[in-house]
Amino acid sequence: MASSVISPAPTSSFINNKKDLGSFCFSSTSQFSVNKCKKLAVSKKIVSVMAPQQSERRPATTGSVKNAMTLTEKIFSRASEKPQLSPGDNVWVNVDILMTHDVCGPGSFGIFKKEFGENAKVWDREKIVIIPDHYIFTSDERANRNVDILRDFCMEQNIKYFYDIKDLGNFKANPDYKGVCHIALAQEGHCRPGEVLLGTDSHTCTAGAFGQFATGIGNTDAGFVLGTGKVLLKVPPTLRFVLDGEMPDYLLAKDLILQIIGEISVAGATYKSMEFVGTTVERLSMEERMTLCNMVVEAGGKNGVVPADGTTFKYLEDKTSLPYEPVYSDEKASFLSEYRFDISKLEPLVAKPHSPDNRALARECKDVKIDRVYIGSCTGGKTEDFLAAAKVFLASGKKVKVPTFLVPATQKVWMDVYTLPVPGSGGKTCSQIFEEAGCDTPASPSCGACLGGPKDTYARMNEPMVCVSTTNRNFPGRMGHKEGQIYLASPYTAAASALTGYVTDPREFLE
Amino acid sequence: MVTASSISFGANTTFTSSPIPKTKPLFIPHSLKFTTGNGRAAVTFQRAVSVIPKATSADSRATKEPTATFHGLCYVVGDNIDTDQIIPAEYLTLVPSNPDEYEKLGSYALIGLPATYTTRFIDENETKTKYKIIIAGGNFGCGSSREHAPVALGAAGCSAVVAESYARIFFRNSVATGEIYPLDSEARLCEECSTGDVVTIEIAESRLINHTTGKEYKLKPIGDLGPVIDAGGIFAYARKTGMIASRN
Repeated sequence: MASSVISPAPTSSFINNKKDLGSFCFSSTSQFSVNKCKKLAVSKKIVSVMAPQQSERRPATTGSVKNAMTLTEKIFSRASEKPQLSPGDNVWVNVDILMTHDVCGPGSFGIFKKEFGENAKVWDREKIVIIPDHYIFTSDERANRNVDILRDFCMEQNIKYFYDIKDLGNFKANPDYKGVCHIALAQEGHCRPGEVLLGTDSHTCTAGAFGQFATGIGNTDAGFVLGTGKVLLKVPPTLRFVLDGEMPDYLLAKDLILQIIGEISVAGATYKSMEFVGTTVERLSMEERMTLCNMVVEAGGKNGVVPADGTTFKYLEDKTSLPYEPVYSDEKASFLSEYRFDISKLEPLVAKPHSPDNRALARECKDVKIDRVYIGSCTGGKTEDFLAAAKVFLASGKKVKVPTFLVPATQKVWMDVYTLPVPGSGGKTCSQIFEEAGCDTPASPSCGACLGGPKDTYARMNEPMVCVSTTNRNFPGRMGHKEGQIYLASPYTAAASALTGYVTDPREFLE
Repeated sequence: MVTASSISFGANTTFTSSPIPKTKPLFIPHSLKFTTGNGRAAVTFQRAVSVIPKATSADSRATKEPTATFHGLCYVVGDNIDTDQIIPAEYLTLVPSNPDEYEKLGSYALIGLPATYTTRFIDENETKTKYKIIIAGGNFGCGSSREHAPVALGAAGCSAVVAESYARIFFRNSVATGEIYPLDSEARLCEECSTGDVVTIEIAESRLINHTTGKEYKLKPIGDLGPVIDAGGIFAYARKTGMIASRN
């Protein structure tokens, strides 16, 4: 008897063609939506699949009866003190943490003073975290001045968390300096489940790995938050990504998010929340979850979330003493679309120039000759990213064929690179393995060349060349030169490519 | 469809084009005051519990329609023009709230476009653009949250962008700063218009006229954004409508 493929149950899984590589279907909670596999869609530009909202017969709300909400909606609900809300509602939200850095801080402070007065005080000196990280190790006068502007403001406002740097010649001489803001926020315990974290940086969405709402805002919005502690936001609908299956040992979270962005395009999640669930996600470490959420903005996403669990709580144990209350999507919550992936079928990927959604299999790019490799940034410069790269170099035992730049994201990551033993190496540290492989010496922690920066930035691409990078964007000119070609990849793939001088699938070394 | 034109400053917020009378909160039960640290009442908000009703009472002023029209040359770009192309990262050391640096930012607008764009947005040795209007494909302004992007365009002399769609942070920043009008087209105008075409945008009529080709196109209505940008961004608008106390 033929079984019906369209199941009326809202949360059933639809056809999941396991024969197809990385195939998925999007399903919706609507009874009459068509079940189709993405493979049928030819156009690269995603026409938003908005499943018609299921028209439920809602029971009369007497106050205690609530409609099902997604994780993100619940955070909005708590932060706006509205027990009931839906995607599309504009609400005033209380901000738990506001972060800014050296590029956008000065502008935000300028607006704050202009609008609230020269003598105005910030809404809460303990909820603002100021992290210089973008243009630090440079002789550019304006860049250096911008760090001074941060300091002046922090002193004047008595800001509790300012990760200052004064001695640019020796990052270790600065006890407060951390490095890349998104990693510092996590390492310093500023990310907590259920909270609202805003930052003047698009990759603020990284913090969603902790089950909180985190998104990037501009200077004007930040100036507003500085004065009031509130922001007007529209509640986003949620796209759900269910990642199941055992993660092969040649894949990393970077491959997962490249897969997803390649699937839905750089505008596929515009104005939407991306929720990551499934057995694969549950087994990811915090740093891997951060990588996943980090590139949500590359799909246009407003925020990304991974529900908090034992892994989250354990990570936070020694980092924060502030109480927090995680929230979770209700079983009957409405999602705009649901995508399912069988991770065990995926292969290492790259995003070819010049777009993060220009997805290709790493092995299909093996004839692409490269000029350099860059391992760093909030996306791919964390401790586990370096351990991963070291694993590949160790497995090979050979030297890299192209200049390989290593930029730890924070002071702590730098320390880990120099102290943590790499499994299976007989006690060697990452730094030793990198040195034996002929990589460049790990550099001072900062955002580095991920976004080019001032001309004297370490590893900046000042001529047209081909680079495999563990960073997050590869639009024209991203790392400096307009004709530079950037292949975004996981640390495994980046290390493998360094060893051959071509874009290389890491299975060449890991299997 | 959730598009970039459905911004936060929409119909359900207290930012309407009819100024809310300070003495008579007619329809919003809760008034929320919060102060800055020095005790000065900085912002007064009223929680939107219900949708703001259309102006029906006799004493409410008629909704002020944005009457802006823009006329000038248009500059056409494609899809996914990201913030690095609009203002490359090396120029981000310029602080937009500093007047000299604001002007300098403008001089670098769209300098990141690849060489395939044979006509520059700003001519060499110039600091302002001759193109008042930018026409773009989809996902304009994707990438970074840097507010320097809409600021650079506005500082360069651009008044409006007409795109097929926007990335959300760029769109939000455009409205918040009041630097440029981000308008949504209904069709793919980047394929219909060419750089150098003379165009007129009529905001009130939601229309773009290309005088060079003789064709007219519908735009999505600007709605509540208009007054916010007209006033000069969210802070200026909030002051104008009595949401925030005036500065001394």
